[in-house]
Amino acid sequence: MSKITVENVSYVYSGGTPFEMAALNDVSFEIKENCITGIIGHTGSGKSTLVQMFNGLLRPSSGRILLDGRDIWENPKEISSIRYRVGLVMQYPEYQLFEETVEADIAFGPKNMGLSEDEIAERVRESASFVGLSESDLKKSPFDLSGGQKRRAAIAGIMAMRPEVLVLDEPSAGLDPAGKNTIFDGIKKYAESTGSAVVIVSHSMDDMAKYCEDIIVMSHSRVAMKGKRNEIFCRGDELEEIGLGVPQITLLMRLLCEQGVNISQDIYTVDDAEKALSELFGGAR
Amino acid sequence: MSFIKIRNLKYSYKDDEGSPLGIIRDISLDIEKGEYIAIVGHNGSGKSTLAKLLTLVVDDYDYLEGSIEVDGVEITSDDMTEDGIYDLRKKIGMVFQNPDNQLVATIVEEDVAFGPENLGLERAEIRRRVDDALATVGMTEFIRHEPHRLSGGQKQRIAIAGIIAMKPECIIFDESTAMLDPIGRRDVVATMERLNKEDGKTVINITHYMDEAVRADRVIVIDDGKILLDGTPAEIFAEVDKLRGAGLDLPQCTDLTIRLKAKGIDINGEINTPEQCAKAIAAALGK
Repeated sequence: MSKITVENVSYVYSGGTPFEMAALNDVSFEIKENCITGIIGHTGSGKSTLVQMFNGLLRPSSGRILLDGRDIWENPKEISSIRYRVGLVMQYPEYQLFEETVEADIAFGPKNMGLSEDEIAERVRESASFVGLSESDLKKSPFDLSGGQKRRAAIAGIMAMRPEVLVLDEPSAGLDPAGKNTIFDGIKKYAESTGSAVVIVSHSMDDMAKYCEDIIVMSHSRVAMKGKRNEIFCRGDELEEIGLGVPQITLLMRLLCEQGVNISQDIYTVDDAEKALSELFGGAR
Repeated sequence: MSFIKIRNLKYSYKDDEGSPLGIIRDISLDIEKGEYIAIVGHNGSGKSTLAKLLTLVVDDYDYLEGSIEVDGVEITSDDMTEDGIYDLRKKIGMVFQNPDNQLVATIVEEDVAFGPENLGLERAEIRRRVDDALATVGMTEFIRHEPHRLSGGQKQRIAIAGIIAMKPECIIFDESTAMLDPIGRRDVVATMERLNKEDGKTVINITHYMDEAVRADRVIVIDDGKILLDGTPAEIFAEVDKLRGAGLDLPQCTDLTIRLKAKGIDINGEINTPEQCAKAIAAALGK
């Protein structure tokens, strides 16, 4: 079922001045419940503008954002309540940590929601476990954590509000491979155990292929493609034309095909490639 | 003689109580002119600190031991003068992660000219260097543009042009592709490779992307302030357990081939890039 519907949304920066620039141009798509949706696009394609629309940080110049079928700007005075329902993790969220302990930082959101002490404690614990922070990490000052841990603490702070939609803008930028995997696994756990809609913005085709079911491709302020990930990644030439690429494994499958190997082109993760190639080698023997 | 010669380098930061916290814990390393090197390691492994020490941009030298020689000059010596530091930074240029922090002017050509102007060069020479540098990074057509209106990859290429215009022997890229989209990343990596292969520059790419590391001629893995591995990409990415233990990953094609080999499938030759891997698998299938 559709959780968020983006309906003919346009957004213009510096409207009415000589610097007027359309950041979004008649954008429409749906974000589904119980689903991880990936948004990809080149730098400046409008992705970050778009994610700030989901929780009402920016208001569309025209068009509507519907949450559960209701326009989030129906009553502008109530827009702040939308921010508990749609949690946004911005780029480099670790710069926003400020409390004395990690525990207090994660608890900040739920506290502002006016929840009971017990409920807050439970949510802090649950969110910490999603992102792999230990009991002893919770007692530390955020500034004594490593870069990757800080990022995870910041994400846990949003998860603790249990948003119905969790939106993350480049959650793994600048992290090493192990740190990146821990974050994506945590996001996946949150999605599975809460049934929330999750939206991830990323430049990494490999991560998108691994974690997202639906993909939206943005290019020059418009939606260039939308669909299931296999419907998107099989259009490699088009993706390259708009400044993106395909996952490495998809590229490998294409190269194999060019060398005369008869293999499915609908493969984008190492696991799937291993399966398909094992069969191929097994069949040859 | 090596261009960069590091001997028993140790470096610490002071923690809150003022006691030293080891960042570099004994590194010895030789880098020759013209090498194309990737340095990988998890966050906090010490790889960026190492790069900063090479250009003397750390804050505090109280906890430095061992020596670094660049082009025959011991830069860690107490006799190092301000002029010596300027000479060093003419030899080694650095490109950082966030392009927005590296651009200083409001027009592309002025930004690229900033370094050469500060070297006190003649006007005609500055003009020549700016034009050459922009041509090298493929940004000539943007010469009169405003940097802040360019894409991330374009900005990063302007930052690189600013470094090239100083004519350094060596350029260090400190996670310079981390914030770029796939095409921006590809363009910056292609620029690095052109600087190395065509202009003979020493290129050091510090990166978290294993698919970038496999493209270098030599890969150095830093873990916990020490060199864990140092060799060709083929040698390094064969050390699966050590890499994973250091918080790193394999390039996806390497990972795939290792899994297939474990199932008894015979695949030979280099397998680290999609191109190599496709060739090896096709050969194994008798294509």
